[in-house]
Amino acid sequence: PSPPLPSTPSPLQEGLNMNHTKGGLVIFTANSHPASRELGKRISERLGVELGKVQVYQEANRETRVQIQESVRGKDVFVIQTMSKDVNTTIMEMLILVYACRTSCARSITGVLPYFPYSKQCKMRKRGSIVSKLIASMMCKAGLTHLITMDLHQKEIQGFFNIPVDNLRASPFLLQYIQEEIPDYRNAVIVAKSPASAKRAQSFAERLRLGIAVIHGEAQDAESDQVDGRHSPPTVKTTGAIHPSMEIPLLIPKEKPPITVVGDVGGRIAIIVDDIIDDVDSFVAAAETLKERGAYKIFVMATHGLLSCDAPRFIEESAIDEVVVTNTIPHELQKLQCPKIKTVDISMILSEAIRRIHNGESMSYLFRNIGVDD
Amino acid sequence: MPNIVLFSGSSHHDLSQKVADRLGLELGKVITKKFSNQETCVEIGESVRGEDVYIVQSGCGEINDNLMELLIMINACKIASSSRVTAVIPCFPYARQDKKDKGFFDIAVDNLYAEPAVLQWIRENIPEWKNCIIVSPDAGGAKRVTSIADRLNVDFALIHKERKKANEVDRMVLVGDVKDRVAIMVDDMADTCGTICHAADKLIDAGAVKVYAILTHGIFSGPAISRINSAPFEAVVVTNTIPQEEKMKACPKIQVIDISMILAEAIRRTHNGESVSYLFSHVPL
Repeated sequence: PSPPLPSTPSPLQEGLNMNHTKGGLVIFTANSHPASRELGKRISERLGVELGKVQVYQEANRETRVQIQESVRGKDVFVIQTMSKDVNTTIMEMLILVYACRTSCARSITGVLPYFPYSKQCKMRKRGSIVSKLIASMMCKAGLTHLITMDLHQKEIQGFFNIPVDNLRASPFLLQYIQEEIPDYRNAVIVAKSPASAKRAQSFAERLRLGIAVIHGEAQDAESDQVDGRHSPPTVKTTGAIHPSMEIPLLIPKEKPPITVVGDVGGRIAIIVDDIIDDVDSFVAAAETLKERGAYKIFVMATHGLLSCDAPRFIEESAIDEVVVTNTIPHELQKLQCPKIKTVDISMILSEAIRRIHNGESMSYLFRNIGVDD
Repeated sequence: MPNIVLFSGSSHHDLSQKVADRLGLELGKVITKKFSNQETCVEIGESVRGEDVYIVQSGCGEINDNLMELLIMINACKIASSSRVTAVIPCFPYARQDKKDKGFFDIAVDNLYAEPAVLQWIRENIPEWKNCIIVSPDAGGAKRVTSIADRLNVDFALIHKERKKANEVDRMVLVGDVKDRVAIMVDDMADTCGTICHAADKLIDAGAVKVYAILTHGIFSGPAISRINSAPFEAVVVTNTIPQEEKMKACPKIQVIDISMILAEAIRRTHNGESVSYLFSHVPL
């Protein structure tokens, strides 16, 4: 049983003791891009620890080079890596840093990846590859002994690793934002923009004691088409090889019904919740639909704000009033292009997780009030 | 008996096509693209079940992207039940950060040599080759250079860096006599080309009549092209392990040796279970 916690411990107080425990702690960020190092800086400030000295850069021939400039022997190393728009380079930077720490005899290496890359490529699609499994194998092989991440797109990704994975949740922060920043939130309805996010909407709604609505119909994103139905290449029908009475029944193609909203949003605030907001077409379409059905204000709350390409412009021109994302992924540029985007800082829970892991304390406090469906 | 299926990554489609032509095959259908969030996506477009798959991807251009693409393609082929997957990596990335050799891999590695192709090029394109001198631009390449010099039955020389004081720039010292000779510099890669351009000046100063440079991998990053344009080279010759079309437009001194036949022959021999070591000293026709 974990020791009783009197009140939230002061991070600075705890931090001052950090460097003297058990061989010490080193926190690195392996991002070469300055904007991506922001989250790492915040976390290290909360912990009262200086960021470890490391040089990460791209050479003229585009090879990544990582040079650690302090000793990590016998220490607990934490590598904070945020995904930037050069995903493959960011992954490579992290792998090289982790491997360098391993060959320099670090006691343990914990990866802190608030957004886990390639998490949308976690299922078999036609003749594709399960890339998140590949990445998981690469990270374990490079020497990672523990992973901290947030709101994995599919919880099953935890199973791809043979090391402990802590899948933290951003929902308490998003819920707090709703309660503090949306004045008449009690008149809101939590909306799932497709049946896939219904469980998440439900878990939010329960904790706020609100109703839910689910949108179903034509506006499905391209990837969900290929995930359902066939999971491996189709068999070629060779005539004569199969006995006629043993014909495998053909799968009936799905009918796409016109867009329907299950649940009532008339005269309400609609809060669409999802884990990732990347291509915003489906969100914009959902907002249109909700507006037509009588919602007077539309919010989008998502943990990971990828916001690729022209997303800020589309959001600006749409019926969406506000998009709230966490700082798992840097999006300063997108915020400049679209003032509707707001940020919720989650560095506190990441620094708390690092502190607890380093001190060998229980992590269960960080998962209280998290439902099975979140 | 499985068939050869040859796929090309997006790093060097031209070379892959040449290899496929020599093998008398069509390149396998594969779609490689990036999602809007810059994540790589690979979809194999034909069945590889039970087949002998070869994937050609060079470590050039956006190296991390190409490396990831290669890994995903290998993974996809394995999941699609291919019989065997072989990666053909003409220019191996990150080779200078730690020396890669057979001991680092758990699987079979065939490190092919461009030397036979280089020797053939010298005999066919440099009229004065019988009286030339092979030069290494640094002490580390001595073995490579002596091997070529011995096969051509000519002399060799080398240039090494001497640091006189802590803050002084390295001084280049020529060991050997190049007076009135055609000097041929040989090295494994040309990246920023600072060293070989300095070396070329040194050789001309020491009395060399002409200076050639023959380098296996022409990376040519940063100021390399402008440096070569203002250096006293007769020609800078590289193989096509890395695409060179754009660079050749910017620098008329660059010439290319095609090594697709070496790769194609290695693939053919591996597939048929024949010895690959023949290729270490012969150029296939």
